[in-house]
Amino acid sequence: MKHLLSAIRISFRAISRSKLRAGLTILGILIGVSAVVIVVALGNAVRGQVMAQINTLGANTIYIFPQDTRSSGARTQARARLSEADAAAILREATSISAITPQSTTRAQVLAGDKNYSTSVLGVGDSYFQVMGFELAQGTTFSAIDFRTKTKVLILGATVKRELFGDGDAIGEYVRIGKYPFRVVGLLKEKGQSPFGEDQDDRMLTPIGTFRARLLPSPPGRVQLLIAQASDDLTVDSATRQIDRILRQRHDIEPEDEPDFGVRTQAEIRKTNEQSFAILTTILSAIAGISLVVGGIGVMNVMLVSVTERTREIGIRMAIGASQSDILLQFLVEAIVLSLCGGVLGLLVGLGVNAGIARALGWTLSVPPSAVILAVTVSAGVGVVFGFLPAHRASRLDPIDALRHE
Amino acid sequence: MSNALIELSSVDKDYVSEAAIVRALRTVDLVIDKGDFAAIVGQSGSGKSTMMNIIGCLDRPTRGSYVLDGIDVSQRSNDARAIVRNRLIGFIFQGFNLLPRTTALENVELPLIYRGISGKIRRKRAEEVLASVGLADRMHHTPNQLSGGQQQRVAIARALVTEPPLLLADEPTGNLDTRTSLEVLELLQRLNEDAGITIVLVTHEHDIAACAKRVIRMTDGRVQFDTRNAAPMVAKAALAALPTTDQEGT
Repeated sequence: MKHLLSAIRISFRAISRSKLRAGLTILGILIGVSAVVIVVALGNAVRGQVMAQINTLGANTIYIFPQDTRSSGARTQARARLSEADAAAILREATSISAITPQSTTRAQVLAGDKNYSTSVLGVGDSYFQVMGFELAQGTTFSAIDFRTKTKVLILGATVKRELFGDGDAIGEYVRIGKYPFRVVGLLKEKGQSPFGEDQDDRMLTPIGTFRARLLPSPPGRVQLLIAQASDDLTVDSATRQIDRILRQRHDIEPEDEPDFGVRTQAEIRKTNEQSFAILTTILSAIAGISLVVGGIGVMNVMLVSVTERTREIGIRMAIGASQSDILLQFLVEAIVLSLCGGVLGLLVGLGVNAGIARALGWTLSVPPSAVILAVTVSAGVGVVFGFLPAHRASRLDPIDALRHE
Repeated sequence: MSNALIELSSVDKDYVSEAAIVRALRTVDLVIDKGDFAAIVGQSGSGKSTMMNIIGCLDRPTRGSYVLDGIDVSQRSNDARAIVRNRLIGFIFQGFNLLPRTTALENVELPLIYRGISGKIRRKRAEEVLASVGLADRMHHTPNQLSGGQQQRVAIARALVTEPPLLLADEPTGNLDTRTSLEVLELLQRLNEDAGITIVLVTHEHDIAACAKRVIRMTDGRVQFDTRNAAPMVAKAALAALPTTDQEGT
């Protein structure tokens, strides 16, 4: 312990004697460690953001969409094959499904007074709010009568409301889509971006029946997309199987044939994203890690030079009683001190850069405590690994030769 | 208990190079008693440096045994010999061999660090020894701020700080002028007389050897003569006899 303390003191003195050289070596480690810290934080932030966006898709949701089938290699025409009757059958028969809603989408031009705005209009069922996790900021949802009588009513997303009404009141106002006036009955709470980069507040909702009748003329009951919600996250898989079975039966598709619909769960989307992030993070960390290795080589280089320069000093120390392990410890500690300085400074620089990025992009960048511990231990480890060879070489010097060294 | 501090018995030292084997020491038998002041003299290549390295436990004999203070150190490991050097031997070199850019005090503390003595005691002890060699006012100077004589006195203080029974001096006055050389010798004689420290000194200068109680002459790796000085020169007296016109600058 006493030896360690004095070795640390000696190494600080030795480092302070060649400040520029030590500074450059520390810089090498600093760059490596800060690169790791920045990459980890950025990776976490992007991942967190995308995962949060995926969660805005609603919890335990299952997307059912029509899909082209291939017969003898050729693609057949895609037809809208899903209907509200499919939705009703799924809700009735699938025990793991708690709710289901249709969703059809089109682009539309809306006018309110002298304002004119192009946005997407979604025809939805009454379970849409529950399934997608939308909440109302103001007003009411659609009533049963709205659905039955295909009333021309709209619920506006926050972006649409802002474009058309600014800060003014929108509830009860009329807007025009094509030749039809629609009454605004509700406003959605802000939800932010979807994982696909879509502004989820840039939309308007209308009952699915109204959508078919007034916005995108289509056969009765036809829907573009069904969104089901599993009763909880454990039943998502069984819900998916049930949906597959029910729809195959209704669409007359043999179990071995390719279905004319596709089923994707939120969990799958999440998993795909997780995987691509894992790959990305690994690659970036590897690149950052390489810069750390380069920094380590810098440490080794400087230590080798230092050992050569101080050969005589090593001889003197040995003559007056330093053992080989004393010399080994001294140079090893010096290498560790160099790289630890680099590690701690690199950590601070990394955190600083993160703070800058966070401010510039408005992200929250968090460096997990484990990354801090990792940065420090890894840099110390770099010191041990790259400092060992020079230190070992120093400790094996013959004191007589070392004393003669000029 | 015998009074011998150093016992070399049939010591050989061979250096093996690609071309030939150089026999630096050939069956050397030598006993130096505690409290002695021996000068090893000889021409370069006579084996006196090799002898010094072996006595100083910096090197191992190829054959033969070396007993230092009752311990057979001839075939000890490197680390064991490091401990022996730290405990039993103080080194004084021709080139002083002080650590550069390190104060006199820190240089003197160095052997105590390797002995594991804690900071305060170490510092106090180093200060005492530096004061005893007349450098109380130069403790915080680095070697390049000190004259040759002062540097050598720092080196002597460093050798003494562990209170070793043996001082090994390798051409300690080689880089010094006459007056400073005599001052160093005066200090060594005082240590030998007053503290009873055994001194082995390697030199090729007759004046220096004349100050020793015993002169061992080496030739071709052998002890050629081993004589006692009936009346060693007293450095203090010689110093007093020096003409005082010399300017003593530092």
